[in-house]
Amino acid sequence: MHDAIIVEHLGKKFRRYQTTQANTFKGALADRGWRKREEPFWALRNVTFRIAAGKALGIIGRNGMGKSTLLRLLGGVGKPDEGKIELSSSRIGALLDLGFGFHPDMTGRESVFFTGVISGQTRQEVGRQFESIVEFADIGEFIDAPTRTYSSGMKMRLAFAVAVHIDPDILLIDEILSVGDNTFTGKCLERIHRFKAQGVTIVIVSHSMDPILYLCDEAILLDKGHVVAHGDPNSVVEQYAAMEPKETRRRTPVAAAGTITSSGIELQPNINRFGTFEMEVRSVRVLDRQGNPINEIQSGDGLRFEIGYEAHQQIDSPIFCVIITHENGTVYHCTRTAGAGLDLSKVEGRGQITLEYDRLEFAQGLYYLDVSIYEKGWGYKYDFHVHAYSFRIHASSEELGIIRPPHRWAMSNS
Amino acid sequence: MVARKEKSVLEQRKGIGNWFAKRTLEYAWDLVCELVVRDFKTKYKRSLLGVAWALLVPLSMLFVFQFVFKVVMNVETPRFNSFVFTGLLVYSWFSTSLVQSASAITGNANLIVRPGFPVGALPIVMVTINLINFLIALPVLLLFLVLDDIALNDTIVFLPVLLLPQFLLTLSLAYLVATMNVLFRDTTHLLGMVLSLLMFLSPIFYEARRVPEEYLLFYNLNPLVHLLEAYRLLLLGGTIPDLGPLSVLVGLSMGLLALTYKLFSRMSHRFIEEL
Repeated sequence: MHDAIIVEHLGKKFRRYQTTQANTFKGALADRGWRKREEPFWALRNVTFRIAAGKALGIIGRNGMGKSTLLRLLGGVGKPDEGKIELSSSRIGALLDLGFGFHPDMTGRESVFFTGVISGQTRQEVGRQFESIVEFADIGEFIDAPTRTYSSGMKMRLAFAVAVHIDPDILLIDEILSVGDNTFTGKCLERIHRFKAQGVTIVIVSHSMDPILYLCDEAILLDKGHVVAHGDPNSVVEQYAAMEPKETRRRTPVAAAGTITSSGIELQPNINRFGTFEMEVRSVRVLDRQGNPINEIQSGDGLRFEIGYEAHQQIDSPIFCVIITHENGTVYHCTRTAGAGLDLSKVEGRGQITLEYDRLEFAQGLYYLDVSIYEKGWGYKYDFHVHAYSFRIHASSEELGIIRPPHRWAMSNS
Repeated sequence: MVARKEKSVLEQRKGIGNWFAKRTLEYAWDLVCELVVRDFKTKYKRSLLGVAWALLVPLSMLFVFQFVFKVVMNVETPRFNSFVFTGLLVYSWFSTSLVQSASAITGNANLIVRPGFPVGALPIVMVTINLINFLIALPVLLLFLVLDDIALNDTIVFLPVLLLPQFLLTLSLAYLVATMNVLFRDTTHLLGMVLSLLMFLSPIFYEARRVPEEYLLFYNLNPLVHLLEAYRLLLLGGTIPDLGPLSVLVGLSMGLLALTYKLFSRMSHRFIEEL
């Protein structure tokens, strides 16, 4: 299998204009007066990787760590200051900035041709795909209306439809999967999956880990312009997650008051509670399915967690996450609201989130609960209670194992 | 799908570049067309007079010149309307192309950040848009010729021979100003100044023969002098202009074009950073 993309020792620097004056008069003279001094800033440095044809690579990292710069350079926009990029094909499709190229006065039909042509296709090639584009965008008779009459969702669907009909050998995707409604995102993912099956090489930059885990064969983690991890997506995402507590700790206020939880454990900042506290977990109640507070169940019983929260300001799309951990440290279940279909787009003030398990068929033992609220891009936590709640599961002492699937013994004499 | 890709690789290897060359040309044509058409559509779609503006601007200039030179200053120029209108149309194609090219990169940031977008097409688009404006106004020029009792003969088919050198000359300078304006934003001011000076240093509303002998050496360095002379010879005089100087102009323009295009391409990677 040949390499579709080869990146070697790639470096890109930007000039940052500074108006700071020279420290000494002598220094200023040496600099020929007080003028703006350029301080180079390396957005990417020593980035090396290869992608085999037909594989998908995910690029993750916090904001401003060089992800989009790397994607742009791969697309031939801008020139590296160091190292080189080699692409096996010039048919590059790009799913970036969807819909920004549309002029409000042009109709959908005109925009399809315009966008197709500026993306590298001839009019004839766009024309051949036209019906299919309109069908994919699901836009109906609006195709002949000016795009200023479109909703933002329609614009995005149309732009995506044009972009995916380019038939590229290499496809660059920036963040687009984190916008739009669920059905549309699903359709996009499905289409990208098909590209992959056809042998298209894909590079995805994403804030959300799901497409990386779902689509990619490999991932790289960028931090301050350097590749700090490269390999299997699961392990890279894990490393990214491991970097996250550092960021949260950095942001945790030092003097936040300790409180006692419903499980009788004291919450202390930077010991078992972390976060920026713009949004807080106020209470967590462990209930049976009838709503009575409990602290122990039989394996196979249902269980309900009620999480009371308070957002001190309007928070955009926070993510609630609950992790159930056995006393021996094994994570039994981790679930989050992302993708659960709740409307958390604008959260403010107090409220409650409920997580209900129909049956918890775990082995017996003491279980701890971690409850957290993440910033929408998983960048840091607003609040994180570590092992602050607990409950016990009872099961027959004749059983061993980590889970307890429903089962029965039977005997028959033949 | 796979089979088709293999075939295209094979074609590349065998060097059957024909299809590729044809596609490249077809693509370049489509790209320029789309960009030009978008410009016209979006510029005139919501304006009341629409394309008529392409005419109104030079016509209004003509009336002001008529007032200043015929009424106030009493300058005798034979067939004044035809003479000045020719000069105005030719000059406004030249100057408007350059003004628009100066902001071609800075004003189309959303296009140039698209992977694979050929930035080099933008100056071509600007010069083409103004060529079309020129052609739209051409019937009105012919009307002026008729009104001035100028007999139109078949030499007019040589007009494209004049359009070519002007296109090349304008384009070569368009690449230069587009590049310069990204690097130094003063370019627009400088360009505005140069273009208004050049309007007076070109024979637009006066005849070149009025320029005193001792200045002619410098005066003739302005390529527009020769272009305008050739246009008038063809349109007003009905004679085919001397192809010698025109070929020299084409040659020089092509040399300049190669130079400025190279500069443009070399600098083009910096466009994205400077925006």
